[in-house]
Amino acid sequence: MKKTALSLVFLALAGSAAARGDVDVLARTCNGCHGLKGVSVGLSMPSIGGLPRDYLRNIMKQWKYDERTAITMSRIVKGLSDDEIDALAAHFAKQPWVPAKQPATPELLAKGRSAISENCEDCHGFTGSDPDVGVPKINGQWAKYMELELAKYRSKEFKMPHRKMKKAAQDMKPADVSAAARYFGAQSK
Amino acid sequence: MNAIDRRRFLKALSSLGAAAGASLLTLPEARAAAPKARVVVVGGGFGGATAAKYLRLLDPGIDVTLIERGTLYTSCPLSNEVVSGERHIKTLQTGYRGLAARGVKVVHAEVTAIDPAGKTVATAEDGSFPYDALIVSPGVDFDYAAVEGLTQELSETAIPHAWKAGPQTLLLKKQLEAMPDGGRFVIAVPKGPFRCPPGPYERAAQVAMHCMHHGKKKAKILILDANESFSKKPLFEEAWKALYGYGPTGMIEWVSASAGGLVERIDAGSLTAHTTFDDVKADVLNVIPPHRAGKIARDAGLATLKGNWCEVKPENMESKAHKDIYVIGDACVGGETSTGNGFPKSAHMANSQAKVVAASLAAKLNGLPAPVPIYTNTCYSVVGHDWGFSVVHLFRVQNGQWVYIKEGSGISPVALGTKQAPKPVPRIYRKMEAEYADGWLRNLLADAFA
Ligand SMILES: Cc1cc2nc3c(=O)[nH]c(=O)nc-3n(C[C@H](O)[C@H](O)[C@H](O)COP(=O)(O)OP(=O)(O)OC[C@H]3O[C@@H](n4cnc5c(N)ncnc54)[C@H](O)[C@@H]3O)c2cc1C
Ligand code: HEC
Ligand code: HEC
Repeated sequence: MKKTALSLVFLALAGSAAARGDVDVLARTCNGCHGLKGVSVGLSMPSIGGLPRDYLRNIMKQWKYDERTAITMSRIVKGLSDDEIDALAAHFAKQPWVPAKQPATPELLAKGRSAISENCEDCHGFTGSDPDVGVPKINGQWAKYMELELAKYRSKEFKMPHRKMKKAAQDMKPADVSAAARYFGAQSK
Repeated sequence: MNAIDRRRFLKALSSLGAAAGASLLTLPEARAAAPKARVVVVGGGFGGATAAKYLRLLDPGIDVTLIERGTLYTSCPLSNEVVSGERHIKTLQTGYRGLAARGVKVVHAEVTAIDPAGKTVATAEDGSFPYDALIVSPGVDFDYAAVEGLTQELSETAIPHAWKAGPQTLLLKKQLEAMPDGGRFVIAVPKGPFRCPPGPYERAAQVAMHCMHHGKKKAKILILDANESFSKKPLFEEAWKALYGYGPTGMIEWVSASAGGLVERIDAGSLTAHTTFDDVKADVLNVIPPHRAGKIARDAGLATLKGNWCEVKPENMESKAHKDIYVIGDACVGGETSTGNGFPKSAHMANSQAKVVAASLAAKLNGLPAPVPIYTNTCYSVVGHDWGFSVVHLFRVQNGQWVYIKEGSGISPVALGTKQAPKPVPRIYRKMEAEYADGWLRNLLADAFA
């Protein structure tokens, strides 16, 4: 009896890679696009190491259950179990956030500063590094990636469930989108 | 976390040896017991480079030697953009300093023989290297003799395949630039399996883009295919039609094997491709010969599948022919081949296989159980300035077999909406994947070589 119970536990554990402590194996498959420890070196690909755990978990589950549109990620996450998604979110949240070096001229910074209305600051903070719960860090996130992401929030072709962020993005003047992305991208702290 | 805590935290992290697999290293017994095993890696492409790097990341106690003939590696992924003039070849090139900085002993030499019984690897001029485990990632060789009239020398001088990025990529680019308006660019696709299943069709689009933007709107790009279908076909056909015109009257035309696409013979002097049905005269002739596993793998008796490809075990990529030899990358076969869902020969797949071997070996050499492997792939194709799409694959290992996980695999959507009421995919989706392709390549190159 005891033996059966034990082997059942073992089987249950073996069934899920995450439960066996293999989240490292899973996380390594992300490195090819998001970089070692989630620090991306590709301008259009986001860094994910050090983003808040809740944000990471929510966004992946929203993709998985078709509550949110992604271009590539929706196909990737559909192959993962909910447990694996939780483990990955915890794993990447533990990594340090490393802002990408994207220097900007004073003119560009000034332009960006005025483009990010008080509105953006309320939720993202002055540099994008001091977010509320569930808000991703965007200081030193790749500007190119953020421009694409803002385009998703602004377009009616994408399901983006966060209504307030969607509204904030849609209220922006078209010319301000790139300036805001480059402003936050240039923040090194 | 305040600044001081953060600094301490970072310091603690780096004292762990910047380990991606900290779980292995945080076991003190495992570390003390770590034998100084010698792992030799043959071939420093996407597969070999990734394997060498991750072994060092997972256990700096392992002695890793990478043997590669070239000193400068050129990525094939996105090299079709070099042919069209959209990208400089330098953006695809890397040396081996990054690996050396991680403690990989990089030896630039030609590997001439592998002795599985004596467990040594021989090189042309640098002597021989004993190993406890050997990782073989030599990529593919081209079977020139399969196309009558074609030789390696012709490929290097007049009829480039450009299926290994480098000088031939630049030669093909030059030929395209010299091609007049109304010229005919012929791409001969070999019978599969070949590396990068969507590659020839991406190339056709890139060549067409070049012609559109360089006053050659009457150019013709003819794909003569030894196969009946191809990767991401509906996505390519949609883009070709929308951007360049597709079919007998369009700029791009595709001829399947049964419609006469199989090129059996070429005449180099008149740049003519002879197919089963026809003689096709070209202005640029781009013949991609059939592939097989790199010579060194075949010579070592690793190519157990028809003498062409290397069969390996699902749990760790160990050769079915020889113990302690692992074959990864284009040279191997794997995946759910029985259902037509084999591993695609791609850089991303090679990178993923390399991580499986590294994790498995690091565990084994530390007396730990092997982690459950997982294999993933993504291939982006860029077919226009703001038009890209991708295919994703996920394989797991269950009961000792590779299982293709359909839910975690698939191509970019061909249509949205429902089956009954399909809606076209918005252009912005395609634009975004063209952007993501560049970010992906930069990360993949860094993941293997930096
Ligand atoms: C035009 C084109 C486009 C592509 N696009 C994509 C893409 O978008 N995405 C993707 O994922 N993949 C793509 N690929 C496929 C990708 O390039 C290969 O799948 C990948 O390079 C395989 O890696 P590998 O390590 O097996 O072999 P390789 O990268 O070919 O590396 C093998 C290395 O081994 C060395 N070597 C071989 N034999 C010896 C020896 N005896 N001694 C010493 N050194 C030796 C070679 O010099 C070489 O550097 C593309 C390929 C082509 C041709
Ligand atoms: C083939 C490349 C690729 C791979 C592999 C990949 N991703 Fe992504 N990831 C992307 C792209 C592209 C985006 C942008 C969203 C989209 O797909 O539209 C993204 C976005 C994300 C985001 C959102 C980041 C943000 O700032 O909002 C998270 C989180 C994420 N990925 C996690 C992962 C995890 C975890 C893995 C490994 C299981 C992974 N990704 C593997 C390409 C990839
Ligand atoms: C009401 C709070 C709020 C406001 C106001 C707001 N944001 Fe956001 N922002 C968020 C949240 C929450 C998310 C994550 C939302 C989600 O899950 O889709 C986000 C996401 C983003 C992202 C994507 C980050 C990533 O990693 O994918 C960018 C870029 C961004 N915001 C920029 C801005 C800019 C620029 C403004 C001002 C125009 C702004 N935000 C205003 C809350 C806000």
